Amino acid sequence: MTWRHARWSADHPLPIGVVERTAVGQAVNAGDVIAAGMALGTAIRLKGARRLGLQTADMERELRVPVGGEVSAGTLLARTGRRFPRTLTAPIDGRLLHLTADGDVYVAPIVGRWIVRSTLDGAVTRSDDAGVTVEGEAWCIEAAAAYGPDAIGELTLGVNAPMEDLAPSRLDVRLGGRIMIGGARVSAEVLTRAHACGVSGLVAGGAPVAGLRVVYGESLTASGHAGREDRPTVICLIAFGGAALPDAIFGPLAALAGSRAAIHTASARLFVFAPADAGVFATDELDLALAPDYASVRALVAETVNGEVTFPSEVRAGAVRQGDLVVPSANVRAFHAKR
Amino acid sequence: MTISTGEQAPVEKARVGLGRPLRVALLYGRDDASRREVARVALAAAAEPSAVVPTDDPRSFGELAQALRDALPDAVLVRPEPKGVAAMAELLEALRLGCLLQRPAPRIFAIADARVADQLRPAAAGLPFEVSSDVAELVVALRAFRRGADQDLTLRDELIEDAARSLAASTRGDALVIDVSESSTSCVLARAEELEAAHIVPLGLGAAADHVVARAGLDRVRRWLPRPVDAPALLERVFNRALWPGALPATESALALEMALAREAIAHALRDAEYAGLDVAAMRASPAVLVTGRAASFPRPAQTLLVAVDGLEPTALTTVFREPDDGRAERIALVLSISPRRSAIVRLTHAGGRAEHRVARGAFMLVPISGDVDVSVKGARVKGIAHAGALGVLIDARGRPLVLPNRDAERIPAVSRWHATLRALPSMGVA
Repeated sequence: MTWRHARWSADHPLPIGVVERTAVGQAVNAGDVIAAGMALGTAIRLKGARRLGLQTADMERELRVPVGGEVSAGTLLARTGRRFPRTLTAPIDGRLLHLTADGDVYVAPIVGRWIVRSTLDGAVTRSDDAGVTVEGEAWCIEAAAAYGPDAIGELTLGVNAPMEDLAPSRLDVRLGGRIMIGGARVSAEVLTRAHACGVSGLVAGGAPVAGLRVVYGESLTASGHAGREDRPTVICLIAFGGAALPDAIFGPLAALAGSRAAIHTASARLFVFAPADAGVFATDELDLALAPDYASVRALVAETVNGEVTFPSEVRAGAVRQGDLVVPSANVRAFHAKR
Repeated sequence: MTISTGEQAPVEKARVGLGRPLRVALLYGRDDASRREVARVALAAAAEPSAVVPTDDPRSFGELAQALRDALPDAVLVRPEPKGVAAMAELLEALRLGCLLQRPAPRIFAIADARVADQLRPAAAGLPFEVSSDVAELVVALRAFRRGADQDLTLRDELIEDAARSLAASTRGDALVIDVSESSTSCVLARAEELEAAHIVPLGLGAAADHVVARAGLDRVRRWLPRPVDAPALLERVFNRALWPGALPATESALALEMALAREAIAHALRDAEYAGLDVAAMRASPAVLVTGRAASFPRPAQTLLVAVDGLEPTALTTVFREPDDGRAERIALVLSISPRRSAIVRLTHAGGRAEHRVARGAFMLVPISGDVDVSVKGARVKGIAHAGALGVLIDARGRPLVLPNRDAERIPAVSRWHATLRALPSMGVA
């Protein structure tokens, strides 16, 4: 099964420094800001309880600014004594980041602000300073891997056929904010150009690993990379390199073009927000076959089981044949099978 | 012959696996001893270090807290140095800031005495905090986490350790087991009374093939291929293989790629073992080496032998065995590793007679003899009697560490020659 209209859940982990976030039960749409906060610089540790002559357990009670609160240079953080007062003041503009077990406090300067947007239409089911989870209904396809930050935008066809590669020349600034359907392959050049043009994300059968390593770093793995950095977003639906999109995948993509969509990179899912009856999409099993030399992946349309075969590598195993392609049956798996 | 006359016992099928993935954060003091200790526990427990933080880490408090939050650790191994308790408490504060709301919360295991642990405990308030100074106890606890609710699961690493103990007992000497599977690589050295184990997850020739490239670099994998292949194409093959757990190499090039990945996985496992202070020199000098997992399931025994010799770089007289997951153990070959300055004379005495071979530096040759062989090298201390195995005696005079030429034009013919010596690929003749 490739496309499914169902109820999905998407986790949105939050960085440290949350200022506000949506409450549990609140309805949100994909693209809505569900949390906002501050990016913090190098924190300064201030002696707290020891300086004020307090028991460590009393420090939190004596704080005049809650942990997480914004402070200006000179803001009174805590004060004890009447005639001979001892005070703790903020040395810099920033945020009261943390209160330690021994009663010290960390104050960190604010170096930027961040927001996190929902990748689903639905309702918030969990909300705390570590993350926000949204549940909602959408059309969804689960991909092989996704890289970059989450992306939200209008799904737009960038190719005319599933075998086509998205050409860099088809991208310009008018496509800013959209999620482009890139056919069989998106090159590193397309990725970087799309990012420069403000394209929200790219959807393709595959992407060359060498290009992905240039964009996302050498430590990249096949399980994807969800980041918050300002980088392009790409979702590889089938494999790495080039992989022509079978009709069962490309047909619905083309039919759903124009709808709002979102890429949730941590789970490598493409959500499309269209009614459940937006189309009658084939829900048959789709099998994919890894080429005998691992160079490519293709969809198996009409396969026949061949029994045991000795391959050129001298590996003897059950085989599957489609036309002139003979592959070990271990190299065939359903599209939805988890890695 | 011994014939059992007891009652026939039903055969119980054991489920073997790696269990749940275990992500650990390693927090340690500035000294090498604490770094080695946490690394050793992580390796023994087949845990994946998702964050490695010394007390003198240059990152700021907020950056550390964010890094620990992003690492999503299931467990945190804490090993303070005696004079660095305050610095460790600060790291635990960063952990508390980053991971207090993580569900399930990470379990902290402190390798410290009770007094030090009591000093650290408040900094980790709100997180489960356990103390032990017994490393073996910690490994048991971490393995229990990997089993989760599936208490009947036999962990692959435990099985490999049992195999190492059995081999050591049967050969009455040190024994090394090398296991390269789809997603894990292990090197376990069994000695008279101790066991040194390094289980690296994820690192393998299949589902974790991409991690071999990410950790070691593509060039280190590519250097083992006997034919030229361009880097982008190779990357795509490795990453596509990683998406297909259990895939089989149907072509010679795919088989050569898996062999290259296995070599580099072994070499990388040894590097990790060395980092953790395990006795890698003893592993390389082990007289008996058993290869298991996917690396033992290559169609030809010579392929397993070549992978073991290139990855391990043995330094003595070594008997190499292999045991595929679904097959019987077999003795493959006797490997004689020497590093002569110019040349050496190797004497092989066996049932069929006695032969002398002048071996030049850099030579890599297979002497196809069988049965027990008395091996001696003139001018070197290497001497011993062992069974030659199915392939014979492999004389490896390429030197240690094994250095491959950088340029393709020099390296590819050399690697191809080594493959041809063992007929390690189908196109090089019948096995």
